[in-house]
Amino acid sequence: MPTISLQRDDLEALIAGPDEKPDRIPLDQLEDWLMLVKGELKGHNPETGELRIELQDSNRPDLWCCEGIARQIRIKQRGAAIPYPFFKKQKHVFGKLVVAPGMDKIRPYVAACAAVGYHVTAAGLTQLIQTQEKLADIFGRKRRSVSIGLYRLAPIVFPVSYDLVKPDDVRFAPLGMETVMTLREILMVHPKGVEYGAIVGGHDRLPVLRDAKGQVLSFPPIINSREIGEVRVGDHELFVEVTGTDLPMVALTLNIFAANLADRGAVITPVEIQSSVKTTFGRRWSTPIDFGKPRTIPLAAIESALGEALGGNEVTAALKSYGYEVKSAGRKLVVQLPPYRNDLLQTVDVVEDVAISQGYARFAPVMPSQFTVGGLSRLEQMADRVRHLMVGMEFQEIISNIMGSHQDFCTRMRLDGTEWAKVVEVNNVMSLSYSCLRQWITPSLLQVETNSSRAFYPHRMFEVGEVAVPDGAVDVGSRTVTMLGGVIAHAGANFSEIHSCLDLLLYYLDRTFTLEPLAHPSFLDGRVGKIVSHGRAIGLLGELHPEVLEHWQIGVPAVALELEIDRLLDEA
Amino acid sequence: MDNLHPLESKVLLALSRQSDSPPTLDQLAESTGLEPSQLSMAVEWLLAKSLIAVHAETVAHLASLTPIGELYFEKYSPIERVLSAAREASQTGKRLTIQDLQAKEELEPSDVSKAVGSLKKEGAVLIVQGGCIESTGRNSPTAESMRALLQELRNGQRELQTVAEPLRNVLQQHAVKRGNAREPFRIDERVTRSFLLTPDGQGVAQCLSRDGVAEEVSQLTPELLKEGAWRNKRFRKYTISLRAPRIAAGKRHPYREFLDLVKLKLVSMGFQEMRGTLVETEFWNMDALFMPQFHPARDIHDVYFVSEPTHAPTIAEPYLTRVTQVHEKGTGAGSTGWGYTFDAERAKRLVLRSQGTAVSARTLAGGASVPGKYFSIARCFRYDQVDATHATDFFQVEGIVLGADINFRTLLGLLNLFAREVAQAKEVKFLPAYFPFTEPSVEMHVRHPKLGWMELGGAGLFRPEVTTPLGVAVPVIAWGLGLDRMAMVALGIHDIRDLFSADLDFIRTMRGSF
Repeated sequence: MPTISLQRDDLEALIAGPDEKPDRIPLDQLEDWLMLVKGELKGHNPETGELRIELQDSNRPDLWCCEGIARQIRIKQRGAAIPYPFFKKQKHVFGKLVVAPGMDKIRPYVAACAAVGYHVTAAGLTQLIQTQEKLADIFGRKRRSVSIGLYRLAPIVFPVSYDLVKPDDVRFAPLGMETVMTLREILMVHPKGVEYGAIVGGHDRLPVLRDAKGQVLSFPPIINSREIGEVRVGDHELFVEVTGTDLPMVALTLNIFAANLADRGAVITPVEIQSSVKTTFGRRWSTPIDFGKPRTIPLAAIESALGEALGGNEVTAALKSYGYEVKSAGRKLVVQLPPYRNDLLQTVDVVEDVAISQGYARFAPVMPSQFTVGGLSRLEQMADRVRHLMVGMEFQEIISNIMGSHQDFCTRMRLDGTEWAKVVEVNNVMSLSYSCLRQWITPSLLQVETNSSRAFYPHRMFEVGEVAVPDGAVDVGSRTVTMLGGVIAHAGANFSEIHSCLDLLLYYLDRTFTLEPLAHPSFLDGRVGKIVSHGRAIGLLGELHPEVLEHWQIGVPAVALELEIDRLLDEA
Repeated sequence: MDNLHPLESKVLLALSRQSDSPPTLDQLAESTGLEPSQLSMAVEWLLAKSLIAVHAETVAHLASLTPIGELYFEKYSPIERVLSAAREASQTGKRLTIQDLQAKEELEPSDVSKAVGSLKKEGAVLIVQGGCIESTGRNSPTAESMRALLQELRNGQRELQTVAEPLRNVLQQHAVKRGNAREPFRIDERVTRSFLLTPDGQGVAQCLSRDGVAEEVSQLTPELLKEGAWRNKRFRKYTISLRAPRIAAGKRHPYREFLDLVKLKLVSMGFQEMRGTLVETEFWNMDALFMPQFHPARDIHDVYFVSEPTHAPTIAEPYLTRVTQVHEKGTGAGSTGWGYTFDAERAKRLVLRSQGTAVSARTLAGGASVPGKYFSIARCFRYDQVDATHATDFFQVEGIVLGADINFRTLLGLLNLFAREVAQAKEVKFLPAYFPFTEPSVEMHVRHPKLGWMELGGAGLFRPEVTTPLGVAVPVIAWGLGLDRMAMVALGIHDIRDLFSADLDFIRTMRGSF
């Protein structure tokens, strides 16, 4: 998933904690620790101290930042969760944020808090912005579900309101612009308005965050105000808000930011959210909020999934040193995730965290003991027999891409406008060269012939591979057929040569066949036949039409054979 | 002796039969019956092998007519024509000047003056007052000799020594010399060599005459076998150090050979092959694997969508209902679910199979055996820009293991087995990993002899949200191996597109070291 960039010094300081002197951490030690966060060190620049780390887990957005990685490592070292008092119910709130009626129709949810006492450093600011972008982009699905705003706290007069306005009624100077603009203008002109406007597009009223004096904080999820919504190095009083369409995601995102800022030394003070409609949190709640619920899990479920009788103490210790709150009750554990996580769907999620916390090396591999019979499908067995016979007839095997172009599969084969030109095409074409699936093999082999005029002759080649034949009778709209394609090309290649190959092949496979005349535009008229076996067409063969050869810029005669291996099975 | 060419044998035998004086090339030509070109070739070879030596070398001078001589023979020489013109003038009493001669006889001035000079010297003509030429009535020995020589050499060249003394002088005077090409005669030198056998040559010749010279043949034929005639033949030895001519074999594609080997390994470990379709519904490609419909990897930038038809008509029950419920509320799987509203239409959307795990999902739903091990080598499609590390479609080797004894440790045990059997790796490392459909998830790294530590594959235990809706009650390992890099090393290539090369010569010459 995301790859983030961070400063080694910054990471080391955060791992040490606010009151400790940081140690230099060797990179191989760091790589070991990164297993705790499913992270991989992708790069290190010794000159700038930049580390690039890829985080795999798309359900752990709390780890997509320097603070989150450091926190998981620090918890492991201290053996227990870091206490964050602001997640407990607080008497004091910094102020109120009032959600106006009607917000539920466009972008219903908001969460916010104040963070005071952290003097923003350059490295810290870079991290705040990176986290804001990664969370909004990947976790928030390009700001659709979640977007985040950071502000200077001092100018804001509470209560803040989150409400809907007409696009032309409110104007402010957005970040990145010198002039005051209306919301409509921002959507039309501002780069962020152009990029993200579709999220709120189609509504005649748009969301705005304003303070008690009517100053605009931002136009979520598009852009912040330039005056209040631009945090600079040296600022030490911040306001953070998250808006979005999914309440748990919005709350979780704020929790992550609150924990991150607290890790950097800020004191977090909650903001009370007042909603005009009832939510799963009620009508009034304050954020950050610990909305996780304890779960009771039988120790046996964890032990049997891991295949190791770890015992209650080890499991408890493992989970605590991974950030969980754990209460042990006999053979049961009551576990709860830290508030910056919300990825516990069920027992197996806890199982994995136990394993990661203890290290996978803790678990000795054991061979599965139950006996099973191995084997190939009948289709694969038949395909292999066909391949071996083709090799015996001195054909070189080819492997081609199944995806290709209509041009190659149909047009060059003179098939446009005929029943043979039906192919599976893709909607979201990346390149015209790869826009559909082949419906037969011959074009793949002609592609080779085109590129191989300098390889000494004769050319005999075959491919046994899958093709997709459109078929309305099948639920996925096409049949996947395992097909043999063979092409012979040299100055004297003719029908009789490929006919002999087919004859011999089907003799050894013990299938009788007849050839019936066929009108097929890819081949010379009267020199092409349908292969019929037990009354069913199972393939075709013939001399390729000179115009086809011209289209492929092939300078020698060529003959081709196509045989459906699936249908050889049917007859058996 | 084995290395003798048949021509050489003939010459050696002819020389050994020669009882009198060492023969010349001409005599050898006669005794061997060989063409001059064949003979001189054989003689040069034998000289080079020191089987024969030059006995004597004589130089002969041969006189012959030049093209001008031929002309003189037909139309008389200048001296004859000057003399006859002078005689004619004397009889008729006409005056004859040098200019008249040049004009009337169409002779070159130099030829005329030379002829007149010779005739005057012999007293056959006189130059009288006024530059007129008069015949004295005397004969010209030069003119007579010239005629005699033209007559004689007309029939071919002659050795100069055999020409009589007075004639020889005339011949030498009128032979082509440097600076004077307009002469009727030429004198050529001819070197005549005679040859004899060296002691080595005598030995070889003795062997040859003793054993007889079998006729040499290059190819054994059915006729030779049928009549037993091969017994009198000698089969020329070949220079076997030469490079063999290239031929094309019928053979498997080296990448397919590699995949066949993987297939064999998997079958030998007790895995049953499964197959699927190139086009799948999002349901089987993703929903059944508990990938939420909002998952980033389901974006149009990751998966190819089919344009016609866009949707499957239905998704089989009870799977649709169960998967819907497990996504929404985790029903039946002891899970909270993803907590969103599942879109059944989206589930029917047709895509190009993006992961082999879709085949495993179908197998689980189709009543997989317990215990059971399955694999597929499935062509998959990813929405990637094609480059040296990304192909438009590629093979994914993946599968499942079902059993009551399946847990995290047996998962690691299975991966160990793969590392040993498939990658021949002795060192293995397991790292925590993330896949949407497994928990716990593992990434397996192995130490490859050439590449060092590399990721060999990913695996995990299927989440109950995957297995329960498909009606599977035992734990299931899902595994996938990333073998393309290993294949590329084995085949000595650096660009993944070369696995699907369209260059016949490249494919014919590519080979693997498995």
